[in-house]
Amino acid sequence: MNDFPLRLRLRRAALVALLLGLWAPFKVAWEQQISRQQDEIRYHGLVMTRELRDGLGQGLTIGVLSGMRSVVADIIWLNVTTAWENQEWFRMGGLINLCTSLQPRAAVFWDMGGWHLAWNASVAAMHDKDQPNELRRIKASRYWIDQGLDVYKRGIENNPEYWRLWRDTAMLYDQRLKDYPKAAYYYKEASKRPGAPVFLERFPALMYDKYHGNDDQAAYAEWKELWERLTPEEREMKEHWKEKIENNIRELERKLSVPKEKRIFPN
Amino acid sequence: MISSLHRILIIGRNTLTEAVRQKVLSVLLVFALIQISSSIFISQLATPDLDAAGLFAEQIKLVKDAGCGAIGLFGFFIALLSTALLIPQELDKRTIYTILAKPVRRAEFLLGKFLGVVLLLALCVALMSLAFAATLYWQESIGLATVEANYGQVGDWQHNAHAREMHDNDVALIIHQVRDPQLVEAIVLIFAKIIMTAVIALLISTFATSWIFTIITTFLVYLIGHGEGMARTYWLAHGAETTIWQSGLIGLIALLIPDMNSFTIVDEILAGHQVPWHDVLNLLCYANVYVIVLLAVSVVIFDYREL
Amino acid sequence: METSAIAAPPLAVETIGLTKRYPLTWKRKVLVALDHLDLQVRQGEVFGLLGPNGSGKSTTLKLLLGLIVPSEGEARVFGLSPDSLEARNRIGFLPENPYFYAFLNGDETLRFYGKLCGLSGAKLEKRIEELIDLVGLQNGRERPLRSYSKGMLQRIGLAQAMIHDPDLLFLDEPTAGVDPLGSVQIRDLILRLKKMGKTVIFSSHLLEQVQEVADRVAIFSLGKKVLEGSLESLLTVNQSTQVLIPTEMTPQQQDKLRQFIAQGGVDEKEIRFTRPHLSLEQLYLRTVQNQPDVAPKEQSRP
Repeated sequence: MNDFPLRLRLRRAALVALLLGLWAPFKVAWEQQISRQQDEIRYHGLVMTRELRDGLGQGLTIGVLSGMRSVVADIIWLNVTTAWENQEWFRMGGLINLCTSLQPRAAVFWDMGGWHLAWNASVAAMHDKDQPNELRRIKASRYWIDQGLDVYKRGIENNPEYWRLWRDTAMLYDQRLKDYPKAAYYYKEASKRPGAPVFLERFPALMYDKYHGNDDQAAYAEWKELWERLTPEEREMKEHWKEKIENNIRELERKLSVPKEKRIFPN
Repeated sequence: MISSLHRILIIGRNTLTEAVRQKVLSVLLVFALIQISSSIFISQLATPDLDAAGLFAEQIKLVKDAGCGAIGLFGFFIALLSTALLIPQELDKRTIYTILAKPVRRAEFLLGKFLGVVLLLALCVALMSLAFAATLYWQESIGLATVEANYGQVGDWQHNAHAREMHDNDVALIIHQVRDPQLVEAIVLIFAKIIMTAVIALLISTFATSWIFTIITTFLVYLIGHGEGMARTYWLAHGAETTIWQSGLIGLIALLIPDMNSFTIVDEILAGHQVPWHDVLNLLCYANVYVIVLLAVSVVIFDYREL
Repeated sequence: METSAIAAPPLAVETIGLTKRYPLTWKRKVLVALDHLDLQVRQGEVFGLLGPNGSGKSTTLKLLLGLIVPSEGEARVFGLSPDSLEARNRIGFLPENPYFYAFLNGDETLRFYGKLCGLSGAKLEKRIEELIDLVGLQNGRERPLRSYSKGMLQRIGLAQAMIHDPDLLFLDEPTAGVDPLGSVQIRDLILRLKKMGKTVIFSSHLLEQVQEVADRVAIFSLGKKVLEGSLESLLTVNQSTQVLIPTEMTPQQQDKLRQFIAQGGVDEKEIRFTRPHLSLEQLYLRTVQNQPDVAPKEQSRP
């Protein structure tokens, strides 16, 4: 039963319409501004694509839509660990893809995902007892390394300021692929990122140290840069790696026949 | 004016007392249990062969996501249920008659009841945050212990400058991830989202005839709100191209439904990225103004409601 | 006989053509809960609202309290609009059912409503003490209202209605569910309030109790006010006189008296001699309270 004098009901409706009507344009404008702001800090709004929805299933899609995105991604991530334990590499790769699509800004997914692929999967492929042909095993192993590398690199695209991704890419080039110039490059980029441990600075030079190739110039440049970064007091201190810098510079200056006046260590 | 605020406060405190005496807070015990057990579960997921700090990036993310996700979820349901029942209970038990027979305006009554819910939610979020902080701290101590254990295995590492440096780095990394001051911002944003849910429920309850209707409708608005951003951008860009009906419907969503997805910026904070404080403030102001607008509409509707 | 004072006390309540309609959307009809009520209650009066359920009594009360809005007509309380704060500051309301918060105890209930009325601090506490004493709730004040008996709920209801010392009290079925002793206390309270100059408007189904306290009554039926007036004028049976003789008379004595009266021109056959009766309430009270000398009830108003 609801009787309310008509004039009062009309008045109520008019007031409500007025309040909401005045607010609506402000609301839309403000929300646009907030969206822009959030995009600027590289907040990737999730676009619910078909593959994503198929990969998620209905319940999880609702979870994602109601703002539980990170929790849904975490739940899927737990399956990555299970897939690893069960050595289901292709399934693991698919799940890693799903997690990184859901939360491209969760650097840890790229980081650990890349690690699972480039290290765990590839090593397992190398020692696959079901594959007697060694060439095939190497090929499979290489396939997984490439997968991991791809994940690392896409991770870097989405999270360029996360030092570990650069570092792990460098490690991959360094330890599995033996591509020292690339390793040196990635180590260098890693050391520039906020929060990177200081000792990463030396690693580029160390890469050139390992690189018995033709790029003494590059190596010399690296070592020089390291030396120049030290303060005069630090140069006095004879800690192990500072000695190493000095020794390497000396040797390279000799090898490259740098004119004495241009040398850092003329003697 | 002062007496008006005073009356609102009295009704607010009374509403809070009612909720507390009706043991709403015991729901939080369930929360605490879930928090603790999920934390234990997560810490079992050791992925060895990874340097300790890397390992803990994974675990800390899981703990943070689970903790904040649970706060958001529990807060959502407490907000939904307690607000949806707020007015119907007063009408059913007719306690509203005795109150409105006193020199109390209807607006003061409604705002007072809502204040009570806000106080209740603040209390719940505060308690849940404490439990969350405790599990975070516990994870930190596990992480640090693991780092010590790992390095201890290597032997006499304290005397190796390089090893010492790496160890300190790992320790700093773990502590930095756990004791992220931005987590406070995250909790505040989660709280703001919960209050938005509550005010939507309040608005609907002012004209709804049953509390079930209120709950279902609020839930729907909540879900649609997460897609409002997409609707809005589509409507602004392509509104003229579609049919009147489509344009009208999408336009209605864009004009009336709040952008609930903007609160998922919390994910960024939980993933460890820096979100500028003034961005957070902007979002909070938006939520604030929105709440005020919806409260004003609720007051208007309720003022003219037949008792 | 209605007495008209030279200067009648000002109006506490006035309604002019007060109407409330509810449209029944399903049946396409309109329910008229109150039909053009014209009512006047002066300050200091005790006014009874009588009538069957659904006759419009509760609707009238709700309209006067500003809880609902009239479809037509006007209501004024102390010259003010019923939903104004000033009006409600001077009104106290006892609802027919306990519309209170069951989780609060007696003290907390009074404190809550007192604060809403603008009382606070020591003054409020003192008032709470006074009222607890007045309604006799010392035993239950610390217990939550959900543990109260019906009688206790009525008492706390009265207390909260009076917390801010209002000039006008609306009591909806004040003695419903209360035992006879409690009823008498409430009745005495109403009379005391009247002596203090308060106005009391109450509705009740217990007609004898209404008769004991009310100055004027109105009888409602189907949304209309059917009858209104002072009890004195409404109930007095005209054209007769009652005499109380405090002794038993033999038939012969009765005949002698009958002849004497008949000399004044009254038809002998119309004169009746009967034995006065106690009311059941008086007998009950006498038994329960050991009051041997309760006088039989006079059938005229004091």
